[in-house]
Amino acid sequence: MAEPIITFKNVSKTYILYKNDQARFKALFFKPRNPKTNKALNNVSIQINRGESVGIVGDNGAGKSTLLKMITGVAFPDEGEIIVNGKVAALLELTAGFSTEMTGRENIYLKGYILGLEDDYIKQIEDKIIDFAELGDYIDQPVRTYSSGMKMRLGFAINVNIEPDVLVVDEALSVGDATFKKKCKNKIKEIIEAGTTVLYVSHNASSVQEICPRSIFLKKGTVIYDGPTEKTLKVYEDSKKKK
Amino acid sequence: MFTIFKEHKGFGKQIFLLAKNELIKTYKGAVIGPLWAVVKPAFTVFVYWFAFSCGIKTLKAVHVNLGRLEPFSTDFFTFMFIGIIPWFFIQDSITQGAKTLRTNRQFITKVKFPVSTILTYTALSRLFVHMILMVIMYVYVLFAVGPSWYNLQFFLYCPLMFIFFVALSWSTAPMSAFSKDFESLIVSIMSGIFWLSGIMYDSYGFGQPLAFIMLFNPINFFVNGYRNCFLYNRPFYDYGTELAIFLAEFIVVFALGIFNYNRLRKKLPDVL
Repeated sequence: MAEPIITFKNVSKTYILYKNDQARFKALFFKPRNPKTNKALNNVSIQINRGESVGIVGDNGAGKSTLLKMITGVAFPDEGEIIVNGKVAALLELTAGFSTEMTGRENIYLKGYILGLEDDYIKQIEDKIIDFAELGDYIDQPVRTYSSGMKMRLGFAINVNIEPDVLVVDEALSVGDATFKKKCKNKIKEIIEAGTTVLYVSHNASSVQEICPRSIFLKKGTVIYDGPTEKTLKVYEDSKKKK
Repeated sequence: MFTIFKEHKGFGKQIFLLAKNELIKTYKGAVIGPLWAVVKPAFTVFVYWFAFSCGIKTLKAVHVNLGRLEPFSTDFFTFMFIGIIPWFFIQDSITQGAKTLRTNRQFITKVKFPVSTILTYTALSRLFVHMILMVIMYVYVLFAVGPSWYNLQFFLYCPLMFIFFVALSWSTAPMSAFSKDFESLIVSIMSGIFWLSGIMYDSYGFGQPLAFIMLFNPINFFVNGYRNCFLYNRPFYDYGTELAIFLAEFIVVFALGIFNYNRLRKKLPDVL
């Protein structure tokens, strides 16, 4: 049952802050001497099992985004090891990878290719995506003519319909109007019930509680608490009060 | 070590589709669409011909020193036209190749993507434009020069040119992504490089040691190579020194590309 799908082993990540563009240019050829750094993640070790849904809470700059970026395979750690077994879909930047000159339908294929999918598979899920996005005739119009809500909806529809093993959801679930929001939330719940691992990042305690039984509290790149959501949220609240 | 090859493995089909998408993206929305790919080079060719053959009236014929007893004589337009077609590809490859990662940053910072394939599929879409220009040029060659078996050497020079400039972008693209100054540097030296390469003139035609130094410019290798195929009717191994110098440079560029790409790949999402 407890088959790990995401494993972080002593992961650290440091961003180098270049003083100016000259320093950046220099860094191309030489190693910068005593650069200013920002430790985004500090010796993080976590394990998430298949089918679990885990919330990640923390203030801005706690390292949440860096953590998610590493899970999606966008960023790389400086130290430590990350193992992810399966296809990851991210609801981080819903419109990433869209080509605005192409139609919605073409973008479904484009996005599919970017995610490494084959034509046949995309054809299978195409109708499901169009149906979910509720774009109507607009699906064959160039994406540049879409409203921002429509773009988001299409992005959301693509990401949740490719049947990922891990779904990463960032707070930005303020997609479209209230009806669509509800539809999204229901879809995420449906995905969780289907056995997909979900990582949910939010500042909103109640929505984390609603979706995830387990949560991780990050502070300044360190895991402060990892356990049942109720307890984690309490620790999080307490640390806020201390300030 | 061989990240680049690993990233390409199993991604072949996607590369073709993304290259196609790149072309559509570039030319969609314009009335004459893909014809724009021809208009700009055609106008450039006209301008150079006009300036050199009509403006500066001395340049009507070119005498090329091919190391034979008699120099090879041809009219300026044919000489320039055959040489400038690979130049268009080279120019776009160097400038756009350097910019590609920056303009496609969403593939690097937002989604997991085999980054080096970005350089391949954008180059592939440029190769397609090159092929269109080649067809036009070859029609001209058939009438002005006549066909020859040596024309087939194109299938040696063209892939070699493609690989060489993709490998070059393995170095230049991550470095430009890292520092905008590097990108500006490349863009600003391009017009200089044009005049330092034997496109408008014969790079063999200098006295020593300059003629030897010119061999170290890989652009000359391709420009002269295309002329070998379509104008001089000369086998690619005829000028051994030129070939040897190029091959050495090819290996260096390839190795440097792999080195630089591996060095900078993991830092890219942090700096873009």
